[in-house]
Amino acid sequence: MSLVLRLFRELRFLLRQRAVAGLLVLAMLLSALSVTTGLAEIAHQRMTLERMILADKADRDGALAKAEDWGSAAYSSFHLTYLPPSDLAFAAMGQRDASPWKHRIHMLALEGQIHAADTANPELALAGRIDFAFIVSVLAPLLVILLLHDLRAGERAAGRHDLLIATAGQSGRLWPIRASALIATLAVCLLLPFWVGAALAGTQLAKVLAVSLLVCIHLLFWAAVSYWAGARAAAGSVILTGLIGFWLLLTAILPAITRVSIERAISIPAGGDIVLTQREAVNDAWDLPKNVTMEAFGARHPEWENYTQVSRPFEWKWYYAFQQVGDQTAEALSTTYREGIRERDQAAALAAFSSPPALVDRALQGLAGTDTRAALAYDASVRDFHTRLRTWYYPKLFRDEPFEPAALSALPVYQPRDERD
Amino acid sequence: MREFALSADRLSVKRGGLLALRDVSFDVRAGEVFALLGGNGAGKSTTLLSFLGLLKPEAGEARVLGRPAHEDVTASRRQIAYLPEAATLYPHLSAEENIAYFLSLAGLRRDKTAISAALERVALQPAARTQRMERYSKGMRQKVAIALALLREAPILLLDEPTSGLDPIAIDDFNALIEDLARSGSTVLMVTHDVYGACQVASRIGLLRAGELVGVFDAPVGGRIDTDAVHAAFAGRTAA
Repeated sequence: MSLVLRLFRELRFLLRQRAVAGLLVLAMLLSALSVTTGLAEIAHQRMTLERMILADKADRDGALAKAEDWGSAAYSSFHLTYLPPSDLAFAAMGQRDASPWKHRIHMLALEGQIHAADTANPELALAGRIDFAFIVSVLAPLLVILLLHDLRAGERAAGRHDLLIATAGQSGRLWPIRASALIATLAVCLLLPFWVGAALAGTQLAKVLAVSLLVCIHLLFWAAVSYWAGARAAAGSVILTGLIGFWLLLTAILPAITRVSIERAISIPAGGDIVLTQREAVNDAWDLPKNVTMEAFGARHPEWENYTQVSRPFEWKWYYAFQQVGDQTAEALSTTYREGIRERDQAAALAAFSSPPALVDRALQGLAGTDTRAALAYDASVRDFHTRLRTWYYPKLFRDEPFEPAALSALPVYQPRDERD
Repeated sequence: MREFALSADRLSVKRGGLLALRDVSFDVRAGEVFALLGGNGAGKSTTLLSFLGLLKPEAGEARVLGRPAHEDVTASRRQIAYLPEAATLYPHLSAEENIAYFLSLAGLRRDKTAISAALERVALQPAARTQRMERYSKGMRQKVAIALALLREAPILLLDEPTSGLDPIAIDDFNALIEDLARSGSTVLMVTHDVYGACQVASRIGLLRAGELVGVFDAPVGGRIDTDAVHAAFAGRTAA
């Protein structure tokens, strides 16, 4: 009998066991639920973005129409920046739940605008989301353990073990085939909803294949561990307890210890401190002699050094200069913050090699463009855009160019980067 | 050597760190019904598992058709149909489905007619054959396991307490079946603690006590082994 026929024989046989069929149905339901909610969330985010892009343009056009000078134009016109979800984001929401993926910014100090942004669902950042990545990285190992832990112990307890071996000729003709049939079916149950979701989301084939491969490798790892443990001549309950303990160690305890260790080793300032530092600098500037602000500004931007004379009580160039100085004051903290996030992420990437579930979760987020790298890249794109705004407005403000509303049509427009740029 | 279907040659086997069989030697000729008799923990099942290659000898050998069982376990097991004690087949399958599954596991295919004939031979009621085995009595389960062993068409049958849990009529039917199989050339090694049943069907009886073979009883030509003599030896009242 060929291997494929033996696999199908075992599959037909195993699917008639209620517990096995129940677990496989549960796997498919969980996967389908995660894919469905993921697709719904991404559809909601896309709709939000589409609505915001239109509203943003209308709002900006309205504000610019009322502008009387360059300064008020810059002050009153907001620009939407955003990180659109990738075609795989429905499967791994990753940092999209924890980090903001849209901002409306204007020419004022940037740090406050970046760090004051709320995530859409901050409670999810704490609790985590039941997305496909969670199902695959955390729950799928549990399903493997439940399916394989008593592969042999169950037969031993039922008094069939020796008969099965004696009938099959050798254990290699039975247990590996049963285990393979179970794991292959589990993989299909988990991946089928994902494949449907990927087709609906128009996910690139290469990404679909990569995710499928990742899921299979992860299942194989847990299958190997469960198969090895299941070969011990112990009661099924003892084997199950040991495997659940191992699962808990790799999915919860080790990642938690790693996270705490990394956070203690690499300290980063709080976003609130950055906002506070910047805002205090901006607020204080109102009370400072204007030349103090303009000198600090000129020191960083020598190209405008000759245009820093302020003669009137209020001038837009002074106003925007102290906004920039506010950013400069918080710059060290902000850089430390971003470098810290990057270092923590790098350390977590290394530490993930001690926990296959964490490694799989990271890999899925990486493929989906929802990881920390993508969040930092988006942060950088917002900063780049803000710099472009300043670069566009500063000549007009510092050279005191006459206001030309028509020129506003040449304002920089935010273009989202491809998530992996 | 080839004339013996099964041979234990100074066989010693450990189970759970203890010596369960100690220097046991006996041979079972082709077409013979050999019963191994002994109390609990005497080493009866250990002997069977050694012939199946499921236990590795500490010393000596368990040979199947002249070859050490653990040397090529697949080849050895192909020659053997094994009936475990309290044969628990899959309760969620019917008798026919269980048999079809186990035969397929052995790489064998038997049509429905052959399966029905085997179940007929062990006197399992037709109405029960398609029912899930979870509703079967112990005797009915045993009958299905025996039918499976018959369908294997293996030259050697290893039976572990085959009549345990059977009613007297079923035991008589079973004994008749074993005699029939022996007449058709099958070799039967059965282990039991049923002295009477062993004397009914076996041409020879080996008496195991605490892992040692303490005696072998032969049936006289055309007769049966004397139950009283075996019983006395089993109970330790006489030397075996």
